[in-house]
Amino acid sequence: MAAATSWNTSTMNSQGHAKPMEDHEKVNILMVDDQPAKLLSYEVILEDLGENLIKAASANEALEHLLKKDIAIVLTDVSMPDIDGFDLAEMIRQHPRFQKTAIIFISGVHLTDVDRVKGYRQGAVDYITVPVIPELLRAKVSVFAELHRKRRQLELLNQQLEHRVSERTRELKQRADLLDLATEAIMVRDADGIIRFWNSGAEELYGWPRDEVLGRHVNDVIAIKPHNSHEDLHPDLFSFGRWEGNLIHSTRDGREIVVASRQALKSKGDGGIGAILEINRDITATLQTEEALRRAERLAAMGRVAGIIAHEINNPLEAIINAFYLLRDHPTLDDEARRYAQLGEEELLRVAHIVRQTLGFYRESQHPVDISIPEILDNVLELQSRHFQLSRIEVEKLYETEARLFGFPMDLKQVFLNLITNAVQAMPGGGRLRLRVRDHVDPLTQVRGVYVYIGDTGSGIDAQHAKQLFEPFFSTKAAKGTGLGLWISKGIVQKYEGSIQFRSVRLAGGSATCFRVFLPAQFSAKTAKGRAVA
Amino acid sequence: MRDEKPIILCVDDEEIPLSLRKSVLEKLGYSVVTANSGAEALKLLEKHRVDLVLTDMLMPGLSGAELAREIKQRMPRIPIILFSGVNEIPEDAGYADFFLSKVEGPARMSAKISEVLSQSGYLTGPADSAA
Repeated sequence: MAAATSWNTSTMNSQGHAKPMEDHEKVNILMVDDQPAKLLSYEVILEDLGENLIKAASANEALEHLLKKDIAIVLTDVSMPDIDGFDLAEMIRQHPRFQKTAIIFISGVHLTDVDRVKGYRQGAVDYITVPVIPELLRAKVSVFAELHRKRRQLELLNQQLEHRVSERTRELKQRADLLDLATEAIMVRDADGIIRFWNSGAEELYGWPRDEVLGRHVNDVIAIKPHNSHEDLHPDLFSFGRWEGNLIHSTRDGREIVVASRQALKSKGDGGIGAILEINRDITATLQTEEALRRAERLAAMGRVAGIIAHEINNPLEAIINAFYLLRDHPTLDDEARRYAQLGEEELLRVAHIVRQTLGFYRESQHPVDISIPEILDNVLELQSRHFQLSRIEVEKLYETEARLFGFPMDLKQVFLNLITNAVQAMPGGGRLRLRVRDHVDPLTQVRGVYVYIGDTGSGIDAQHAKQLFEPFFSTKAAKGTGLGLWISKGIVQKYEGSIQFRSVRLAGGSATCFRVFLPAQFSAKTAKGRAVA
Repeated sequence: MRDEKPIILCVDDEEIPLSLRKSVLEKLGYSVVTANSGAEALKLLEKHRVDLVLTDMLMPGLSGAELAREIKQRMPRIPIILFSGVNEIPEDAGYADFFLSKVEGPARMSAKISEVLSQSGYLTGPADSAA
């Protein structure tokens, strides 16, 4: 207990700290002297410090102890046989492990010796002259012991700190890896809108590699709708600290995508904006699928309704048509009554025609039949004639061939109806619709067939839309279009082993667009059979 | 044979449309027998000579498509036209030779019937007055 008390006292004395140390680890003090009596007297003097005292009768013995133990202080006699105190000190100092070991020389005062002591100034070195004053020796040893203890603690703390730093670095690295694993686009921009972080999800979604966006303003990288700039969201972001919603972003190649966006404001310590964190998930495909499903459901429901209505209307309609047919030539009727019956029948056939065209197409036959393309085109034109009048569209026809081929009239009617409807819708302010049919032999395959050209002087096709034109759900007509017309048309034409292509040119006075459909005169029997089963 | 009128079996569960159709077909130059159901049609076919069957699609009991299958299994050479108010060709219509909308009008109906008759080779040609 006495040792502990003196230890606390020494702490106060040397460091001025009132708080006692928690760590009571004893330090090793190595005493070196060739005279056992002196070692004994040092032991008596230093006993009260409560440290471990180790005795060595020679420099060699001292070195052995040094190698085995962590020695805080070496207390050495200067004059010893063989290796004296200074030589020992020099050997100790040469070893990197002992460079911090404190050395106290005990010696009679010689000027030369004091000079030599000064040579060790870098390390913790001191000396005591003989006769040894116990209080002085105790005080000096105590200071060095305390220094050693503090240094050990610092080293320990440092180690712990380094360990924590490396752990934290590893965590951060893992977190960064995690951010890169995320399929969401994750980005951080600073108060000025400069992009500071950009994960691989963002690289993938927007098509911008990290090193090309870091340091750039977010508005220069991502165009945003329905807002004009990313800052438009700031009022909300600043009021609530968070923002969530769907946005339309543009990718590097100009594609517009819908993202579900979550943004959070990270404040600086002083209350200013530190950064804006943003996580965006691409929901374009999901929305398209949902929309397609909704459309399909709507179409299916419409189809069911159309079927029921068609059935309920067609049955009595047939009876009435037949009744008028029988009536119009009835011998008891005079000419006037007969004319009325005839008009009635004609009008009924018109109703029947409309019902047939609007309440779903039907295929008359299971097998492909001999059909004429000009006939089908005229049929479609007749359907659209009202639109031509309303939109002031002139129709120009150039049928250079009868273009007979084996096929399903309703399929082809749908193809040409789609193309002609598109052309009409592209000319809301009027224009010219050109239809041309001519024979064609493919120069490569020698396949005979017909080219059908459908041209308009409408709004033209943007180059950026060209690639997507035949993709399902692609539409420039927003709510008006299903986005399926050209896709279906292409599918039908391909089943006929034909092709569908288009050209659109911008001229000074407007633009001209032309779709060209190639249909082989005979498509293979296998396909025909496949179609019949379908 | 040539002067003989082709005999058409008209099948429909609705009485008025059936009788009007019968009159129209007779005026077009065909002989017509009628049946109100698929079952009745099958019975009739056993007794009468019939050159073509013109049947409604949606009927209680056998549907038009089912009737077509039954007939083709017994008398594969008789041509059958499915005659429907629905604008969609049914999936099981494979046994019939043609599918025809009810509202095409008498002229087109007649043209189809003579086309099917001549294609089937069951009869040498349509009736003279059918045009």
